[in-house]
Amino acid sequence: MLEQLLPQLVNGLTLGVIYALIAVGYTMVYGVIELINFAHGEVYMFGAFLCVTFITAVGMPFYLAIVAAMLCCAAIGMFLDLVAYKPLRKAPRLAALITAIGMSIFLQNLAMVIWGSRPLPFVQEAVPAYLNETALSFSGVYLTWLQLFIFGVTTTMMIGLMLIITRTRIGTAMRALAQNKTAASLMGINVNFVIAFTFALGSAMGAVAGILVSVYYNSLYPTMGYVAGVKAFAAAVLGGIGSVPGAMLGGIVLGVAEALGAGYVSSLYRDGVAYAVMIAVIIFRPSGLLGKAVIDKA
Amino acid sequence: MGKFKPLLGVLAVGLAAYPLLPFANEYLLHVMTLVMIYMVLAMGLNIVPGFCGLLDLGFVGFYGIGAYTAGLLTVHYGVSFWLIVPLAALNGALWGVLLGAPTLRLTGDYFAIVTFGFSELVVLFLTNEIWLTRGPLGLPGIDPVNVNLEFLNPDWFWEFQGEVPYFYLAVLMVLLVYFVLRRVEDSRLGRAWFAIREDPLAAASCGVDILTYKVIAFAISAGIGAVGGAFFARWQLFLSPDMFKFWESFLVLCMVVLGGLGNIHGALIGAVIMVCLGEVLREVLYVAGLPPEVRFLFYGLIMVLIMRFKPAGFFPAIAATAKSNPLLVALAARIEKTYGGRRESHS
Repeated sequence: MLEQLLPQLVNGLTLGVIYALIAVGYTMVYGVIELINFAHGEVYMFGAFLCVTFITAVGMPFYLAIVAAMLCCAAIGMFLDLVAYKPLRKAPRLAALITAIGMSIFLQNLAMVIWGSRPLPFVQEAVPAYLNETALSFSGVYLTWLQLFIFGVTTTMMIGLMLIITRTRIGTAMRALAQNKTAASLMGINVNFVIAFTFALGSAMGAVAGILVSVYYNSLYPTMGYVAGVKAFAAAVLGGIGSVPGAMLGGIVLGVAEALGAGYVSSLYRDGVAYAVMIAVIIFRPSGLLGKAVIDKA
Repeated sequence: MGKFKPLLGVLAVGLAAYPLLPFANEYLLHVMTLVMIYMVLAMGLNIVPGFCGLLDLGFVGFYGIGAYTAGLLTVHYGVSFWLIVPLAALNGALWGVLLGAPTLRLTGDYFAIVTFGFSELVVLFLTNEIWLTRGPLGLPGIDPVNVNLEFLNPDWFWEFQGEVPYFYLAVLMVLLVYFVLRRVEDSRLGRAWFAIREDPLAAASCGVDILTYKVIAFAISAGIGAVGGAFFARWQLFLSPDMFKFWESFLVLCMVVLGGLGNIHGALIGAVIMVCLGEVLREVLYVAGLPPEVRFLFYGLIMVLIMRFKPAGFFPAIAATAKSNPLLVALAARIEKTYGGRRESHS
């Protein structure tokens, strides 16, 4: 049993950092406009499909296609905010939430119309060959270059994100908005621009996560955003929704818990781990691991 | 609604007599029965988001629990339909209480997510506990309901025997749920729900025990969902976990929102519109060579557009709001006016 532990741990960490990458998108949007952006999982899915499309239809190299997909997804995120959420800023919460679900379902089926409903393999020819080779091996654990690449990319993006949030003007504006929208706008912050920027940033990171997962599992399908979205949301809740470091921590904890649960308890309930963690955290500690106390407005 | 009443009566009698008419066809009867199942589901779901203002994304979980309760009891113990429906309702309501009691104190978004997680866990359970449900293979061999309707069924319509009894059973079910909910809507319970929806703070300060009333709402809603499921099981005669995925919750939510949150008649109309639209879209998509699930593309779009342009749906529950205690409404308005600024600062 124990010889399984390290490989499961590595697998869990790989998944965990990817969940963290998606969870950050939920948590940032929630922090700024207090909306669960249900369509975030679909942006993640679009990232993967757009990347494959750029490689096969346009003939872009792998790394360039990733960047192009990121930019497109950032645009999709901003567009979502513009057409779906912005008109509802003053509407009841229920309306915005239902809109978000409607958007999620719409995008998922749009992908089905565009790319078909069957799972596709990732274009393996386009992926640099060395990524599938073993980079490190110690005591029975093999780390591929792809896994190292995933760790490297996610870590870089997380550090970049933290720098944006803590060191730049727009990051300060985001934090101000999360505190109090009215006061922020009185201080001359362009609220709608900052919200659009938040969507763009979160969506671009979600797109990268989608691409990494579809390369890791060599598979992409229109409903992939659904489960991944829920898991990332569970990660965001676990870490404390609204808290960016919380989302990172939550993602990693959830990924590891899932891999260990699948390895030692039952692989059938792999996805169930995320739901169970989510329900338990929401009931027993709604503010999450690193979140501040939630103000109950009801 | 008032001046249309005679017209509606004629329409209802006409529809009820339809299965007995010589030109009745099995497909239309099937669709009508499906419409009525969704009417029951829409009326049931409507209680939570419509009357109490909380988004329930896990409604299909209770529908599935009801269906499998009915299916398993029939297959293994041959229990009669008349006993199965109340048993399924009780089981659904029990799960409603188990899920609702700890979670209904949560704010709207969190509650939506927890219910969603619950329905996904139900699907996982139905898929994985093969010893009980046969998992993805599905549960076949459920007995049809035996209702002797021969006196309604002259010899020359013998081919409709299958659908006709179900049609009338469904009518009975819709009427029952409708009248119960109409009574509840006008009762102390219903008014407490509206008060909670309009302003929880005001309701609480008027002595409404918010959590208890919410749990009751959730349990009744779950019970009605399970009734719909039990009927569905005995009508389809086959169940599989796929039938109870999130899509279904979303579809029923579409009906409720389209018709008008909080309006029972709206839920009924929403069910008619969505099921008919679904049938038409299925044909169109078949011709276009697309998978039938793609019809949810249009449903998603409909939801977004309704929320944008008609946030209260096409038949808003104005009557219902006015009926809730006027004193409470006035009080809510005053509290909002006095403390509006302070409460705003949290968001």
